[in-house]
Amino acid sequence: MAKEVELDCMGEACPIPLIKTEKALEELEVGDTLIVLIDHSCAMKNVPEWARKQGHEVELEEVDDGEWECYIEKMK
Amino acid sequence: MKGCEVVAEETVRASSRASARGDRGKRKKKNQIPIAMVIFAVISGIGVWLGFKEDTLLLYWLLGLAFGFTLQRSRFCFTASMRDPYLTKSTSITRAVLIAFAITSIAFTAIKYGYFIKGLAIPGQGYVVPISIATAIGACMFGIGMVIAGGCASGTLMRIGEGFWMQVISLFFFIVGSLWGAHDFGWWKRTFMLKAPKIFLPDYLGWLGGLAVNLLIIAVIYVIAHKWEKKHSDGLSH
Repeated sequence: MAKEVELDCMGEACPIPLIKTEKALEELEVGDTLIVLIDHSCAMKNVPEWARKQGHEVELEEVDDGEWECYIEKMK
Repeated sequence: MKGCEVVAEETVRASSRASARGDRGKRKKKNQIPIAMVIFAVISGIGVWLGFKEDTLLLYWLLGLAFGFTLQRSRFCFTASMRDPYLTKSTSITRAVLIAFAITSIAFTAIKYGYFIKGLAIPGQGYVVPISIATAIGACMFGIGMVIAGGCASGTLMRIGEGFWMQVISLFFFIVGSLWGAHDFGWWKRTFMLKAPKIFLPDYLGWLGGLAVNLLIIAVIYVIAHKWEKKHSDGLSH
């Protein structure tokens, strides 16, 4: 069964969310989903961009004003 | 048939994600329009006040607002342009900054040349400053600082405007550092800057030559940046 893991990066400035995402994804199995919570506009851009480039499935949703949830499904 | 399967799989994935989100994703956003209207009124009020004081102040105000708006909407970030090539191997912002440099090089050369052929004093020559080892060391220190602080000068201001309060700390120390720098500027100037050469490319290569060399350097860095990203993304797909 695929896991869902939440990664709280609220209040963290760029590039901390990206590095945390990178590390958290390493721990996960293929098919698991990582949900990254971010409120830094720069991270909102570079976290999905990086994850897509790595070949993962990415979805970004603005859940509140200036707060995003980035869904990353580990593909490999 | 294969197409349908892919679509079905996508739907399952999407719905599983939607359920995982649960009520968290359905939070109701605050209506920001009243706040926007108040801010717009304040901005306009300040603009009118500045306009009555002096025309140029109004122009600066409008240009500053336009710059901030563009910076925020485009997610343009000088820090990311220098940091991401190492961190994520992405050079999209790096290349955007290079394009901006190329455009400003052309425009500033045009403005300066315009004054020059009319025999007028060339504006902005006060910004042609000597380059020395202090420039290189200062650039490295600034680079390290901006990556730790999460933004350069404009980026920090923009993110405070967005409501990212942690960067108020960056702004505070940015002001402290600026004041300290201004306090000791005389010493730096006497010790390093005045001994260093001051180069204005058109003086050495002519107007067209100076511009060409500038653009050529930018083009070379652009190509390297593009190749860098391509090299690393190719490596991933294998």
